[in-house]
Parts: sequence; structure tokens; C-alpha cells
Amino acid sequence: MLVLSRQRDESIMIGDNIVVTIVDIRGDKVRLGINAPSEIPVHRQEVYEAIQRENLRATRLEPGDTEAIGRFANRDGTRPDEPGKR
Amino acid sequence: MRINTSRFGRIDIDAGDVLRFPSGLPGLEDCREWALLADSSNDALGWLQSTTRPDVAVAVVSPRRFVPDYQVRIPRSELTPLAIADIRQAQVVVVVGKTDTTLTLNLKAPIVINLETRTGRQVVASGDLPLRYELSCGRPPLRKSA
Repeated sequence: MLVLSRQRDESIMIGDNIVVTIVDIRGDKVRLGINAPSEIPVHRQEVYEAIQRENLRATRLEPGDTEAIGRFANRDGTRPDEPGKR
Repeated sequence: MRINTSRFGRIDIDAGDVLRFPSGLPGLEDCREWALLADSSNDALGWLQSTTRPDVAVAVVSPRRFVPDYQVRIPRSELTPLAIADIRQAQVVVVVGKTDTTLTLNLKAPIVINLETRTGRQVVASGDLPLRYELSCGRPPLRKSA
């Protein structure tokens, strides 16, 4: 891993269009400003990892587990927009 | 085309119905092609089935049907890869999970599908939304603060 030292208001560039700026440093908390092209999503790593874990949990669901879900649906709702084929 | 699934056996799908997820799903990055199947016993439910891994499928529902006050805000950067200008052009579904006691919905990371290009992506919605929204008969409203 590349490790760089930076002070407040200094930045690093990743490629030619991503700039990460140290906005503030307070105790053990660092605030970062990130300038990236609009098509590049930026996430807190722990949020992304939680979504990964949740998806893997969800793949363990079997059709028998979902039988009760109809009880929670709104009767006035419509079907999912495009149910697809089965 | 015919695909093998561990839950539903062998099924025939129209090649034109395959949904492409260029980034896969988080945790399932290698699963790029999916088919959206209707559940045979529950019209509120669909299954997003990998066309390449028979054992990989996730149950999905339209969140509006379960959480009427769910208003999803998605950063533009998340929608750019799908070429969607307005979320209303897209189909939004959320992944169903379960705990020991109930079923849950992942409201934090909805799956957005551009139906015209048949391209999809799981996105990270803005605000304080639960990864495990527990379904119950007396549903508590979502917190309004974000």
C-alpha cells in the first residue's frame, strides 16, 4: 500500500481526475473531500462491505422462506412492474 | 435459452429478457447476467436468478408495496452507469432477507434496472436507511430524518 503524509488542505490525485483533499483533522477523525467524475461512486467501505454481507445472506433464502411475505404486502398495490417469466 | 437453477430446476428464458449487471452485485461481483423470475405462489415476489450460477438467486420485491413511505434518493454517480436520468424511468426492487424471526428488506441498497437497456445495478441510497428493514404487520414508519 502506498502511504503518503498530508496536512490539512493538501490533496492527493488518483489518476488525472480524482482528487482527495484533507479538509479537517480533529483528534482521531479526518474529514476528506473527494472530487471525482460523476460516474464514479464513492462509498464508505464499511457500508459497501455490509451490503456485500447482506447479499450473501440473501442468497441463502429459499422459496419456502418467503411464503409469508404476501401478508405484508399492500392490497392496494400493484404487481411488481415487470414480473418476468417463470 | 435454458438455464439451470437449484431452486426452480431447468427453466427456459428468452435471451432478450436477460438483465446485465456490469458490476455484478456487491459480494457477487462475478454474477453479471440475471433473469427476473416471477414467484409461482406469490405475485408480490420475484427472484433475481443468476444465469451462470444455478445456486445464486435473491428474492426481490417492489418496495412501494411493503413500505409505502419509502422514498429513495440515489446519488447521480450511482445512476450514471445505467444511463438513467430520472429514477422514475427505472424499475426499483429491493432484496429480501430473513432473520430468525421475520423477513427483511434491504432498503439501503435497492436494485435499479433500466428496462429499456435491460441493465441493472445495486446502488447505495442516500440517507439513514436500514439494510434489514423488518417486515411486520404493524409497520413502524420510516424515520423522516436522513
